Amino acid sequence: MHAQPTLQKNLHLQFLARNMMQGFPARYLSQDASQPWLLFWALQSFSALQVGLDPDNRQRSISKIMSWQHSNGGFAGGPGQSPHLLPTYAAVCALAIVGRPGPGGGWDEVDRQKLYDFFMSLKEPDGSFRVAEHMEVDVRGIYCLLVTASLLNIMTPELVEGTATFLASCQTYEGGFSSASHPFYSIETDRVLRSPRPNLGEAHGGYTFCALASWIILQNYLNLDPGTIHPSDSSSRKTPAEEQWSNELTTERPRIDIKRLTRWLVNMQGSEIELGGFRGRTNKLVDGCYSWWCGGSFALLESLGIGGLQNLTAKDVEIDEVVDADQPPDNSGREQHEGWDDIDESLFDRKALQEYILLAGQHPAGGLRDKPPKNADLYHTLYCLSGLSAAQHHIYSSHTRKAETLAEWKDEDSPNNALQKAVFADLVSWVEEEGTSRVIGPSNSNRLNATHPLTNLTITHTEAILKYFYGQDIPPRPFIKTGASKK
Amino acid sequence: MNTEQKQEKLLFAERPEWSDVDPIPQYETSTPIAPILYTPQYKDATDYFRAIVKSGERSERVLQLTEELIRLNPAHYTAWQYRYETLLALSSSLQTELELMNELAIKYLKTYQVWHHRRLLITLLRTPQPELQFIETCLRVDSKNYHTWSYRQWLLSHFVDDDDLWRGELEFIENVIGDDVRNNSAWHHRYFVVFGCGVRSGSEDRARIVRRELIFTKQNISLAPNNPSAWNYLRGILDYNRLPYSLCTRFVKPYTLPLDPNTVDIVDLENPPPSRGAELPCVYAIEFLADIHEKAGDKDNILKGVDLWKSLANEHDTIRKKYWEHRIREALQSAT
Repeated sequence: MHAQPTLQKNLHLQFLARNMMQGFPARYLSQDASQPWLLFWALQSFSALQVGLDPDNRQRSISKIMSWQHSNGGFAGGPGQSPHLLPTYAAVCALAIVGRPGPGGGWDEVDRQKLYDFFMSLKEPDGSFRVAEHMEVDVRGIYCLLVTASLLNIMTPELVEGTATFLASCQTYEGGFSSASHPFYSIETDRVLRSPRPNLGEAHGGYTFCALASWIILQNYLNLDPGTIHPSDSSSRKTPAEEQWSNELTTERPRIDIKRLTRWLVNMQGSEIELGGFRGRTNKLVDGCYSWWCGGSFALLESLGIGGLQNLTAKDVEIDEVVDADQPPDNSGREQHEGWDDIDESLFDRKALQEYILLAGQHPAGGLRDKPPKNADLYHTLYCLSGLSAAQHHIYSSHTRKAETLAEWKDEDSPNNALQKAVFADLVSWVEEEGTSRVIGPSNSNRLNATHPLTNLTITHTEAILKYFYGQDIPPRPFIKTGASKK
Repeated sequence: MNTEQKQEKLLFAERPEWSDVDPIPQYETSTPIAPILYTPQYKDATDYFRAIVKSGERSERVLQLTEELIRLNPAHYTAWQYRYETLLALSSSLQTELELMNELAIKYLKTYQVWHHRRLLITLLRTPQPELQFIETCLRVDSKNYHTWSYRQWLLSHFVDDDDLWRGELEFIENVIGDDVRNNSAWHHRYFVVFGCGVRSGSEDRARIVRRELIFTKQNISLAPNNPSAWNYLRGILDYNRLPYSLCTRFVKPYTLPLDPNTVDIVDLENPPPSRGAELPCVYAIEFLADIHEKAGDKDNILKGVDLWKSLANEHDTIRKKYWEHRIREALQSAT
C-alpha cells in the first residue's frame, strides 16, 4: 500500500506565519482593497489548523481591523476606503477570532447602529442589497450582510424583508444560483414583478454557497408568525412595506427547487480522473476553493432535510443494503476505512474530496492552491482547509439542541425578539456527534478543527461572539474527543 | 517623450500641481500586522487618494489620480466609486470615459469594477447597441468570463424593449455554442434569451419555439453526448414549459446503451442517434431515463429506475454513489 497522504501542517503554518509577520509581497497589491479578507483568510486558516495567535499579535490584529471601520458605519477594504459589505463580513469574522469584549477588544467598538443604517442604505426595492454605494447587487453581499447581522444581533424583519424572494429568483434552470437577477417593475404599481426575472450569469459554486447559506438564515424570518411582528395593527391600515411582509410570511412564501439544487451540487464533484475535486460551474475544471463553496454546501442542504444520517429512517438504511448487495465484494482500500459507509450519509464523496485536497491542493512550499502547478495563496489556503474540514467532519443542525436553546432564551423587550431568538437558536444548533468524523491519512495529524457551516468560523468562535452580543446562555456541548495534538 | 509620459514617471509627491495636498499615510502605527509590501508608486498614489477623499475635492486632477490608481490596482473599488461621483459632479463627457473603459475592460477583464462602472455609464448614456460588438471582442479573449456574460445579460435586460438590440441575439448565441459546444456560459445565455426574459414579439408561438429548442439541443447531444451543458439545457426547456421528460424517451434510449456499431445514418430531427465514435453509455442519458421511470410512478417503472440508478452508483458514475443511493431511497419511499 502506498504512503498515506499527509496534510503538511507545519509547511502551511510557516506559509501563514510568513505572510502575517513579514508581510505580503507586492503582487498582493491587487488585494489592497481586500485587506480584511487577507487577515480573515490567514486567521481562520490558523483556527482550522488548531493554532491561535499570541496576545501581542491578537492585539495588533484588533487595532488593524478597527482602523477599517468607517465613520458612517461598516468596514472598508482598508483605511480611508469606503465601507463595503464584503470587507464588513471579513472584518467582523476576524474580530470573532481575535477580539473580545472590553476596552481595546474590538467587540464593543463596533458601531452597530451605524452598521445597521449602512446596511439599510444599500437596500434595493426588490429586497436585494448593493455591496456598496453605487456598486453592484449580488448574493455574496447578501451572505456577508446576513452573517454579520446574525453574529452582531442586529437582524430585524425590516432589514430582510423581500430578500428571500430575491434569492429565490437567482436560482437558475441548472439548479445552482447566479450572481443576481434583473428586476422588472410593474408600470402601474411600481412593484417588482415575479416574472420575468432573468438570471445575470450562470449557476456558480461561490454564489450558490452564499445564496444557500443566506436562504437558511432567512428561514428564521420566513418561519415567523406574522402576528409576532405586527401584534397590534390588524385593524389599522398597512403600509405597502408591511403588506409585503405579511404576504411573504403567509401566502406568497418564496420557494427554491431543492431537488434541482441537489442535482447541480453533486454534479460539481469531478470524477475519479479529476481526483474528486469540485468545479464551480458546469464543464469547467475543478479548483481547490470549491471544496468549500460546493463541498461546504452539503451540510447546508442537510439542514433542509436532504442527505445526512440524521434525516434517515430505519427503512432507508435497509434500502442501502439492497443497493450494496448488487455490488461485487470490493477489497481495494475498503478495509482501511472500515465503518465509513455505516455513518457517512453525505451526498458527496467525502473521501475523494479529502484526497483531492491532500494530493493536488497542497503546494510543496506550503500553502494550498487551485491545482498544480499553480501557486498557493491565502484565499485558496483557507477554502481548501475549510473544504477539507467539511469533508472530515459531519456537522448538522440538531433539532434537540435548537429546542434546548429556544427553551433557555430569555425574552427581550424588543419588537425583534422573535427573530433574534430564532436566528440565535439556529446558529447555536449545529453539532458534531462523537465518532462521526472520518479523516483520510494519519488521523492525528491530518485532522482539522470543525467549521460552522454558516459562518465558516470554528464553532467555538461562533458561539463566543453570539453569547456576547445576544447576552444569552448557550447550552453546554458534549465533549468531543478531537484526537488533535496540541502544539 | 512628451510631457504626459514624463509626468507619469513622477510620483504625485514630486508633481508641482499636487504640492497643495498633504498626503495621508495608511496606518498611524509603523508596523501593522500582515502588511502588504507596496511599491513606492502605489503607496504614493494611495496616500494622495486618501487625502482627496478626506477633503472631498472634485476636479480634473482627481480624474487623473483615480485613473492612475485604477491602472495600478483595478480592484480598488473606492477609487472607482469616487471617480464615478467626480464624473457626475464635473459633468464630464461620459463618452470619453467609455472609450477609456474600452481599453481598461480588456486589460482587467476579471475585475468586478470595470464591468460595473460600464453599467453605470451605459445606464446614463443609453447607448447599448455598440456594446454588443465590444462584448464579443472581450469574449474572444475569454469565452467563459462570468462578468462579461452577466454584463451582456444586464444590457439585454435593462434595454429589454430595444428590438434592434435583441434582433441578432439568437444567431449570436448559436455561433458561440457552435464554436464550443461545451461552453456552459453560452448555453446559459441561450436560456436567458429564449426563456429567461419573457416572450418577445415574434416569438409568441411557444410550441414552435419549444420544438426548435428541442431539435437544436438534441442535435448537439447527438454530436457530443457526454456534454452536461446540453443535457441541463434539455431539462431546462422541459421544466420551464412544464413538459414531461417522457417526451424524449425515444431520443434518450440509444444513449443509455453501448454504441451500436451497425447504426445507419438516418436523418431524424426529433430523434437524432448518437454520432459515430460516441462514448456510450452516457451517464446523463441513464439519469434522464431513470427520471422518466420515476415520474411514471408505478411499481414497475420505479424498479426500472432503481436498476438504472444502481448501474450509475456501482459502475458508470461511482463518485456520485451516495447521491444515486439517495435517489433510490426517495423513489422507493414515495412508491410505498
